[in-house]
Amino acid sequence: MRWLTRCALAAVLAASPSLSARAAPVVAAASDLQLALREVADRFARETGVRVTLVFGASGSLTRQLKDGAPFDVFLSADEAFVHDLADAGLARDHGLVYAIGRIALYAPRSSPLEVDERLDGIRRWLDSGRATRFAIANPEHAPYGRAAEAALRRAGLWERITPHLVLGESVAQAARFAAAGDAAGGILAHSLVIGTPMAADGRHVVLPESLHPPLRQRMVLMKRAGPEALRFYEYLQGPAARDVLRRHGFTVPPV
Amino acid sequence: MDWAAFRLSVQLGVTTLVFLIPLSIALGRLLAVRRFPGHDVVEAVVALPLILPPTVLGFYLLVAFGGRSWIGSAFSSLTGGTLAFSFEGLVLASMLVNLPFAVQPIQRAFEAVPREVREAAACCGMTWWRALAAIELPLAWPGIATAVVLTFAHTLGEFGVVLMVGGSIPGETRTLSIAIYDRVQAFDDRGAGIMAATLLAMATVALALTTRLTRRLGGRHG
Amino acid sequence: MAERAGLEVSVADTRPVRLDVQLRCGPDEVLAIFGPSGSGKTTLLRCVAGLHRPAQARVVCDGIVWADTAGGQWLPVRRRRVGFVFQEYALFPHLTARGNVMAALGAGSASARRADAARWLAAVHLTGLENRVPASLSGGQRQRVAIARALARDPQVLLLDEPFAAVDRALRARLHRELEQIRRAVRIPVLLVTHDFEDVVRLSTHVVVLDEGRVAAAGPIAALTSRGDLPWERYGLGAGSVFDAEVRRVDVVRGLAELAAGGAVFIVPREGLAEGSCVRVRVPAKEVILATRPPEGLSLHNVLPGRVAEVGGGERHPLVRLAIGGVHLLAEVTSDAVERLQIRAGASVYALIKSVAIEIHGRDDDHNGHAVADAHAGGPPPA
Repeated sequence: MRWLTRCALAAVLAASPSLSARAAPVVAAASDLQLALREVADRFARETGVRVTLVFGASGSLTRQLKDGAPFDVFLSADEAFVHDLADAGLARDHGLVYAIGRIALYAPRSSPLEVDERLDGIRRWLDSGRATRFAIANPEHAPYGRAAEAALRRAGLWERITPHLVLGESVAQAARFAAAGDAAGGILAHSLVIGTPMAADGRHVVLPESLHPPLRQRMVLMKRAGPEALRFYEYLQGPAARDVLRRHGFTVPPV
Repeated sequence: MDWAAFRLSVQLGVTTLVFLIPLSIALGRLLAVRRFPGHDVVEAVVALPLILPPTVLGFYLLVAFGGRSWIGSAFSSLTGGTLAFSFEGLVLASMLVNLPFAVQPIQRAFEAVPREVREAAACCGMTWWRALAAIELPLAWPGIATAVVLTFAHTLGEFGVVLMVGGSIPGETRTLSIAIYDRVQAFDDRGAGIMAATLLAMATVALALTTRLTRRLGGRHG
Repeated sequence: MAERAGLEVSVADTRPVRLDVQLRCGPDEVLAIFGPSGSGKTTLLRCVAGLHRPAQARVVCDGIVWADTAGGQWLPVRRRRVGFVFQEYALFPHLTARGNVMAALGAGSASARRADAARWLAAVHLTGLENRVPASLSGGQRQRVAIARALARDPQVLLLDEPFAAVDRALRARLHRELEQIRRAVRIPVLLVTHDFEDVVRLSTHVVVLDEGRVAAAGPIAALTSRGDLPWERYGLGAGSVFDAEVRRVDVVRGLAELAAGGAVFIVPREGLAEGSCVRVRVPAKEVILATRPPEGLSLHNVLPGRVAEVGGGERHPLVRLAIGGVHLLAEVTSDAVERLQIRAGASVYALIKSVAIEIHGRDDDHNGHAVADAHAGGPPPA
């Protein structure tokens, strides 16, 4: 019976995906990069023939997974603190670099009564109307974009009033789905997601001034396990083609 | 349609079955046949995954074999890979999560074999092995088949635990249910819809099979 | 053929029921274990088989120690050659009748086992039904499959747990006869557990009466049934001695037959009796009239001289035990009659019994024992 068990175990493990050579580098990225990074990765594949595997999530969740041993080679966070955290924990090669500056946007779908403006007066009126329903942001605990949304709402003096109406997305992409679906009257989301998806056409939005929140400096880093192909991608991200894509998706790119 | 995810889901289902079903036959039969001290505790533990939220299970599984745990580090030093965020970790998690789906129908099936039939087999001079193979298993097989179908279907649909323990790594831990979630986040409703419909179809077939098999088990001893 | 020493059993336990029993059963004996529900009969049987492990047990069969708790020995069930017929037969529902019997045949080529199974099924009159599954067999047929399966094991002892409990009266008589034939052919100790005294009367050679786990009475059937001190009303049958007799003569013209037992001769209607055959007789105590003088001008055929052995049964329902030749009869009379006739131990009396009142079991010819003997001979030789 024992040898039978061993054979079965060997057969199954041999067939299992993880032990077969996985050369493709795994890139974990904050979910505001859903659209932008896919485009970059496609270009990279066309130019170099190397396909990278993309995994999206809230920066906080990805950081936690990395600490639990997740096999990511490159990590693109939506902020800096998570990257420093990983570097201090000895999991990353260094403290990485800032690859983009993100912006938040106030969005309302077409059917919503919410008016959008830079000073968030529309939100104020919506709350005053007495018929305010739900407002979507990313969860400030895991997502830098959620933190920025909270900062903006606090700066406008609306945080306490709007809190009972908040629906928190586990990532900013999920928050965007809530807002886009019309279940929420609107939300403060990643600018890149609003303009990269059909959302922009199906509603109205305005980019919020950077004065409303601490800057969304997005830092990326190579993990200790990264191989040569991951390094290539990491460098590609700093190159002109990638920066171009990022700009088109609403990010500001820092000078080289 | 994310074929890698589909393949992964099927692989996870089959691998879980390969390891879980023999274990469940042993445990199910033990619970059915013998009343040992702690019997009720074991039954309760087996049933736990039915009522615990997947997040609770996922949390404890990560604590048990995440990168910082004893089991996790042992696995890493042995194979160079991690237990969490790997297919192997998913199999382990899947086996634990599916314990009630596998053990309970099998236990019921063995309970339905009258004690005297088992005793008659012993009186006929059969070894425990022959009695199991020739008498008990043929009588219990509808329950075993039910366990197989339920476990496979449940594994296909498992989301919370898979996400927490496996992450969403394409080709590795991104099963069909995770892939649907991923497509939704990426604003790809069409892709999500195709995979959701596939899962729905598979679940319906699984349930229809289970109903037929349970009826057969009921009618067998009429 | 090795000498068969029979079965010796000694069991003591307190759970699940109280038990404190010693018994023996020889190779040609049928020991009926009789008692009300809850008296521990089935538990006792299961102890002998090894299905239940009591606190203390010593079971020896044909010289082989099956259990000896004092010495730490316990042979598991499957290593004991027992033929166990369960109360509900416990047939394997997914196997055919043939499959059920083959299950007990152990090793050997499949074709040899098929042939043996066919022989056993023929011995219990189930030829033609080999391919049926238990669900499509009647109660009586299922019982026979269970018996065939038990015998196919070539057991050293046959254990029957209330084998007729699930069977209606009409079928019961027939099954009694068949079991009796089987018993005569296989010649191993048979333990028969029952709460119905009729089974005891018809089938047993010896009886053990259990009451709350203890042996209330034990002995050969004739001796036991002629005891006046047992609570016969409780047993549900009423007093009446049981013994074996030979059909000595059949008078076709007069329609009568003579039964001889231990020197006494009984006249009975001849229906279904063949000269030279053996039958089991029961004389209900209620049907026995005592007389101090042989009467005249009565329709009675049986006027038997004898001697009073004992007056028992208590003041209100006296039971008089009579010795008629080598046979003992019980007579139920009133205490007034005892006084009037001065019935005392040692007195000479006549027992008057109507011929039609004598119960005879085992009518019809008894020569069907051969089929069973053949099947038995076809099996492996006894160890």
